[in-house]
Amino acid sequence: MARGTRQDDVEARFIEAHHRLFGPGLNGEPGFLHNLRQKAIGRFGSMGFPSKKDEAWKYTSLRGILRTPLAVAPDCTAPPPSVRAIHGLDAHIGVFVNGRLHAGLSVLASLPAGVTIAGLGDAPPALVAAHLARQADFRGHAFVALNTAFLSDGAFVHVPDGTVLDKPVHLIHVISGRAPTLAQPRTLVIAGTGAQVNLIDTISADLAAPSLVNSVTEVFVAAGARVARFEVQDPAAHVSLVTALSAYQLQDSHFQNNSFTFGGQVVRNNIAMLPDAAGCETLLHGLFIARGRAHVDNHTLVDHAKPDCYSAENYRGILDDRATGVFNGKVLVRQDAQRINAYQSNKSIVLSNTARMFAKPELEIYADDVKCSHGATTGQLDAEALFYLRARGLTMPQARTLMLQAFARDIVDKVPIEPLRSVLDERIAAILAR
Amino acid sequence: MTPILQINSLKASVNGMPILKGVDLTVNTGELHAIMGPNGSGKSTLAAVLAGREDYEVDAGSILYQGADLLEMEVDERAREGLFLAFQYPVELPGVSMMNFLKTAVNSVREHRGLRPLGAAALLRLAREKAALIHLDSRLKKRSVNEGFSGGEKKRNEIFQLAMLEPRLAILDETDSGLDIDALRNVADGVNGLRTNDRAFVVITHYQRLLDYIIPDFVHVMYDGCIVMSGGKELALELEARGYDWISENGVPA
Amino acid sequence: MARPVPAKLVRLMNTDTQYLHEVAASDYEHGWVADLVSDTIPKGLDEDVIRLIASKKRDPDWMLENRLRAFRYWKSLEAADQRPDWAHLTIPDIDFQSISYYSAPGNKPKYESLDEVDPEVLATFERLGIPLQEQKLLAGVAVDAVIDSVSVATSFKDELAEHGIIFCSFSEAVEKHPALVRKYMGSVVPYTDNFYAALNTAVFSDGSFCYIPPGVRCPMELSTYFRINEAGTGQFERTLIVADKGSYVSYLEGCTAPMRDDNQLHAAVVEIIAHEDAEVKYSTIQNWYPGDQAGTGGVFNFVTKRGICQGDRAKISWTQLETGSSITWKYPSVILKGDDTKGEFYSVAFTKAKQQADTGTKMLHLGRNTASTIISKGISAGRSNNSYRGLVRINKNADNARNFSQCDSMLLGDRCGAHTFPYLETSNPTAQVEHEATTSKVGEDQIFYCKQRGISEQDAIKLIVSGFCQEILAQLPMEFAVEARKLLAIELEGSVG
Repeated sequence: MARGTRQDDVEARFIEAHHRLFGPGLNGEPGFLHNLRQKAIGRFGSMGFPSKKDEAWKYTSLRGILRTPLAVAPDCTAPPPSVRAIHGLDAHIGVFVNGRLHAGLSVLASLPAGVTIAGLGDAPPALVAAHLARQADFRGHAFVALNTAFLSDGAFVHVPDGTVLDKPVHLIHVISGRAPTLAQPRTLVIAGTGAQVNLIDTISADLAAPSLVNSVTEVFVAAGARVARFEVQDPAAHVSLVTALSAYQLQDSHFQNNSFTFGGQVVRNNIAMLPDAAGCETLLHGLFIARGRAHVDNHTLVDHAKPDCYSAENYRGILDDRATGVFNGKVLVRQDAQRINAYQSNKSIVLSNTARMFAKPELEIYADDVKCSHGATTGQLDAEALFYLRARGLTMPQARTLMLQAFARDIVDKVPIEPLRSVLDERIAAILAR
Repeated sequence: MTPILQINSLKASVNGMPILKGVDLTVNTGELHAIMGPNGSGKSTLAAVLAGREDYEVDAGSILYQGADLLEMEVDERAREGLFLAFQYPVELPGVSMMNFLKTAVNSVREHRGLRPLGAAALLRLAREKAALIHLDSRLKKRSVNEGFSGGEKKRNEIFQLAMLEPRLAILDETDSGLDIDALRNVADGVNGLRTNDRAFVVITHYQRLLDYIIPDFVHVMYDGCIVMSGGKELALELEARGYDWISENGVPA
Repeated sequence: MARPVPAKLVRLMNTDTQYLHEVAASDYEHGWVADLVSDTIPKGLDEDVIRLIASKKRDPDWMLENRLRAFRYWKSLEAADQRPDWAHLTIPDIDFQSISYYSAPGNKPKYESLDEVDPEVLATFERLGIPLQEQKLLAGVAVDAVIDSVSVATSFKDELAEHGIIFCSFSEAVEKHPALVRKYMGSVVPYTDNFYAALNTAVFSDGSFCYIPPGVRCPMELSTYFRINEAGTGQFERTLIVADKGSYVSYLEGCTAPMRDDNQLHAAVVEIIAHEDAEVKYSTIQNWYPGDQAGTGGVFNFVTKRGICQGDRAKISWTQLETGSSITWKYPSVILKGDDTKGEFYSVAFTKAKQQADTGTKMLHLGRNTASTIISKGISAGRSNNSYRGLVRINKNADNARNFSQCDSMLLGDRCGAHTFPYLETSNPTAQVEHEATTSKVGEDQIFYCKQRGISEQDAIKLIVSGFCQEILAQLPMEFAVEARKLLAIELEGSVG
């Protein structure tokens, strides 16, 4: 890939920072992690950040924030800001401050025996070695490589075989910084055979200057396990967010991801699902509301490598002001992955004539006994329905808000956790009322 | 009287689940047999096995069709040998015009019988003649096969195809289900018009209603994968009066 | 708008056009075959070759300048390794210096009679229903049929002339209608558009030109047959169609090529300009040699086709049946510039053996109340890969734009690929963009139903696949539709069962 000098400078800054933090001569690190970081920074150096010339980054640029000199992985010395739990939610809460578990803020007392919520550093090394950096591909993705290159701690969740968690697990990543910051949360979730867990993932950021959060989440779903993940992204308008979520599924497992994006400057979500055995079910749901100059890009890949699986994807977006939305969803069915049933839907509503929506739903199919489909629509609210509501006495703004809420509800309703659903409803109502 | 179909101790299963548990039935040319029975008794499975659906496994027994082993024949071979199944749920073929479909089917069957293929004009003439017989809306012939047809139109189209293909043995799988009384009469008129001395019918139905219009020579009652009772047309009326519970309560052979 | 009854079909034999003209102009009794045989320039591409082509074509200076500008641009792309690589295709490294960029037609294999022609080729022509004289022409038999075709074309030419319609080879247009050519050539597909468009502009040999004057409905279908001649040559034709205000024309394009072991490059450019209230319908049956089962040989088909709805209420409709070529890279597009303009793209792409196709369209909505429809049917068999790639862009000022896209793929076999890559870019809140796509195999229940009626599995699949394409084939003008159905049936025959 041809890169300009300027871009090289950007990468060089991170490579130097890596050298300072983890360079040769520093002792006391486990060999596994050290080697991983070295490999990752090597890959990062040879790949460099993607540019708009890369098909996968055609519509999204992070040049702005990457040109800003960012302080890498600051140690949080300031007292942690207040952490908001979800009102009315009874959950096991793991609070991670700059990647480290904060015992004082966490609520882990009622955690059933055998279940672990800890910092990666305190997690069973064998499990970490078996799964860390195995699901999220740092060889092919620069941002994953960057995260991996600076990996020193993170959130770890292990639900052992046969364990069903009644209460959801809520992971809260606390990030703070005064100067422009690069924060890189890392999460590893392992659900054992037949295990079941609902996982809520949120970031509580206090970043004073333009910053970049580059998170990586890896989920291992063993045979017959069920994992549902709920991510709420609501950073300040000067914070950009790049996330990678990679899930690896074994026989007859179920994985569901629900992502809600309400804030941020540039938000790019990279979701890669690998149902690698028969009988898997994979559901991806997403909702974003982008206003101001926000840019929200959802990239999903469902890589059907094995037969007899089902996947369904449903993404919705509302765009206003000068916002830009991107949805690039790919369903890949590999050779011999027969009897795949894959469905994808993307609907967007564009409210202003300066907002833009780019939809790129893709099917790449190499097996013949499949049923795959996608649908994408971009448009406005149904004029007839608006008229109907106004004929019933609603004002235009009331009618619009009502219809937008209904449009969003399809995704919100897929959340089975009532207190979380209420919080989402309130947040959506507040944004739309603005 | 020549037997056209001889079913002996037929056992069949779907996905390892036994459905037919020993069916015996002989049908002679010129006869019309009605097979009745409650839902799940195996009526439609019998039709599917006769037509040669792949997901139905024959576990035991034999079927002789015109003296030959039917189970050895491919689906289309059976059809070309004159076995016709009127589907309970006719399949839609988007974009495939009725006439093109009929032309391919009729000429495949004719070729098998050593007859010259019909040209477009002759086929059209034949289609017009047969369509009139079952009161088929001539516009349907211009559409794609079963696409956008109503339930009644689909069923009438099945009888229309029966008329076009002139089979030796026609099996009607719940052709009456979902039909209003007028459509039912149309279908019955069509079938009655097609009854000849060298053609046999097996009419599968849940209700006696159809048999008011198509008078069967024999009525068989299926229950739990077996034919548990056989008789004349009066058996249908008795069933109608007493309901299927009558069978489960009485005279079910072990 | 009702289509004119295609009472007559005008066929202009391209690249044979020049051949025909030479034959017509010369006294053909004088051993012209020998002269023509030697008229292939050496392989390679540089400015001298461009000048040589221009001199052979008797280009005016402006055309030579145009060629040189395009060539220099192409060279800069080539030097910077800027060949387009974004398609879902594995394109071998084409050596552009090993191609001869000019071959006088007539330089094709000569046979004394049809008896010498590969019977399989003839059988194909037969099944396609191509008239005997055309069969001879396509098979490369040097017989008087050529002259007959010239007279056929010219007799209709008179009738067309009565309506003020110009329909001639590109060379003739450059000579006789330079003002029109200069005005419109490159106005829709500038040479800077892409690598292959630049190459075409630099080296194009001939093609066809069509102008329909204001208010004229062309009374017949206009048709062009393209074929590739000599081994080791490229084919670079240009088509330019100008439909003036309120005019209508339906244009048909057919392509064939003889079988060859090596790959041949075809890089064409088609430009359509539709003025106010004009309507252009462009239909293609692409049947270039696809290579053999092992993927040896076959045509590399890199084509840039684009039309512009320049004036209000103009309409451009592309219909294509793509069955040939080892590689197809083709996106017939419409720029919807005027208000209330319409663009349509109807496509059937069938790939088998080791063919690769990446084809689709671009609908660029600039004007208000613009509407576009995309219906694409892809069928993959063998070890082929078949991709739909389509862009729908609603610009900021394109109020009330509408798009509907439907892309269905069907797989025949478990070693082929069917892919869908739509790009939907919306920058206007009043736009309505809808895209749907499905991928599946032929329904088991459909096959069973047909078989129960006595139809063999092969015939059942052929019926069902033809039904799948019916919507598109119905868009083709009558004669072409018949040809298309037969072609599809032939292609399917070798691919199912």
